[in-house]
Amino acid sequence: MRSDHNLKDLEDIATKLRLHVVNMVAPSGQGYVQQGLGAADIFTSLYFAEAKMDPKNPTWADRDRIFLTTAHNTAIFYATLGERGFFDTERLSTYVTDGSELEINSSERLGPFVEATCGSLGQGLSVAIGCAIAAKRQGRTSRFYVIIGDGEMQEGQVWEAAMLAGAKGLDNLCLIVDYNFVQSEGAMDKVMSLEPLMDKMASFGFACQEVDGNDIGTLLNAYDIARQTKGKPSFIKANTIMGKGVASLEGLMFHQLRFPQEVADSARAELEAQL
Amino acid sequence: MSKTLTQLEAADFINRSFTPLPRSYGDALVEAALQDDRITALCADLVPPTETDRFRDELPDRFLNTGIAEANMIGMAGGMARSGEIPFCHSFCAFITKRVLDQITMQAAYPNLPVKIVGFLPGIATILGVSHQAIEDVAIMRAVPNMAIFEPSGPEYHAAMVEMALAWDGPVYLRMKRPDTTPAAFTPQKLEIGKGVIRREGSDITIISAGICVSEALIAAEALAKDGIEARVIDMASLKPIDEKLIIDSAKKTGAMITVENHSIIGGLGSAVSETLMEAGIGLPFKRVGINDQFCEGGTTAYLMNKFGIDCEGITAAAKSIL
Repeated sequence: MRSDHNLKDLEDIATKLRLHVVNMVAPSGQGYVQQGLGAADIFTSLYFAEAKMDPKNPTWADRDRIFLTTAHNTAIFYATLGERGFFDTERLSTYVTDGSELEINSSERLGPFVEATCGSLGQGLSVAIGCAIAAKRQGRTSRFYVIIGDGEMQEGQVWEAAMLAGAKGLDNLCLIVDYNFVQSEGAMDKVMSLEPLMDKMASFGFACQEVDGNDIGTLLNAYDIARQTKGKPSFIKANTIMGKGVASLEGLMFHQLRFPQEVADSARAELEAQL
Repeated sequence: MSKTLTQLEAADFINRSFTPLPRSYGDALVEAALQDDRITALCADLVPPTETDRFRDELPDRFLNTGIAEANMIGMAGGMARSGEIPFCHSFCAFITKRVLDQITMQAAYPNLPVKIVGFLPGIATILGVSHQAIEDVAIMRAVPNMAIFEPSGPEYHAAMVEMALAWDGPVYLRMKRPDTTPAAFTPQKLEIGKGVIRREGSDITIISAGICVSEALIAAEALAKDGIEARVIDMASLKPIDEKLIIDSAKKTGAMITVENHSIIGGLGSAVSETLMEAGIGLPFKRVGINDQFCEGGTTAYLMNKFGIDCEGITAAAKSIL
């Protein structure tokens, strides 16, 4: 655990983000609940501790860039951006309403802090690599973080990109898979297993770590190791639990979840009690 | 007794002769890059066939052979463009459009980034057959918002292609053809975005063409002149945006029109001209000459152009059929 961040503060932020997720999805039932709750610790650790950025100057050329290539996981993404100060959190209530820039799949029309318009799966890693190569050419020290979905790694372009990142030794790149083990039609091993994923990524030239993706301290340590790794891109397999942080939802492996009012109310009460 | 054999060397993917082909596009790109350090180049492992060998050798820090991985190439170019670079991406027309349309739309066109997509082997102009032929690329790329499309009628216009690509503040598709021989001396007319060029004047019919069909249209026009038919020939190098004013003025002036393209008759130049005429309320004798909604085959370019009716013979017959 890095000394410059108070772990308890970060955990409180993660809880606050989870509460936003519940509040954003509850009105319409549209959006990812389980995935958002599960990824809250990845988002908190990256946006509130690891990555350097300036919400008042989102196009700052020397910022670290975070790419959400699985751009469907927007409730947690927007909650993070709002709490981090990129826009007013009041706008979160417009999530998936007609005319809102807070679309169900993120688009850069929301602002430049959406580093690329992804959602057509498998594309974000390539964009991050292009930025990483340009940064090296331009002598910048920026780092490039990619949050990818586990099911998304079935896309062929991901492996084209991984091959190039490994071959070129892009050590300013860190690929984080949100390994919640569920894709659209069910459990990953039932659809098409990625395993042995660590071996695959290592053979593509990545320095690999497998961590508890719901443990902020562990995630921060993993980013430290990734930052200190030279000559190789880093891969972090972050094992996450769907619905993490809400007892009644934790571990429910539903890609799409019906989210009736009474469930949302109970989740909200549970999260508020933690704050 | 022993006879010295010709020294063998690695052949270029396309050029099997011992005479290097001119590299008018590649030279122009290097010259532009020497003036503007934002220009970078990517190539999916087809370096001499896309004329990027000089860029690779003279500006190695700004060149990336991505391997045979076009989708990743376009995505990376999006990232480079987001970082202040102007990436030129290179492969064959078939692979750099059809294969990566989703990457082009999401990582170049939607964000309106200066990603320049440069394809070689336009239409049927390759011996490599259906897999390498792009007869629907213009149709596809024309439907992509923010995208401009330019196609030179010969190597004398290749330098202008680089200029136009840089002048368009967004994504561009260049539909390039490598010259087979060193072209004869030729003074090109000035090309502009959204402007066609009148290459021959005539008052009986207008032939609007682009790319390698322009020279065939000019030959056809001379053949028609022998029969007393004077054709205006337009080189529509700017396929998108297209010169609507010149199309409408020419229709009014000549009263008959054909379009000629090294592309399917569906969705390309012929469609673009038809759309312009219809919306202007102009009815006139009209025909699209192009690949007639069919797949082709590998062969020499002259053979294929004749077989599929897009050479001077096909153009002459089409013009006569509507007059």
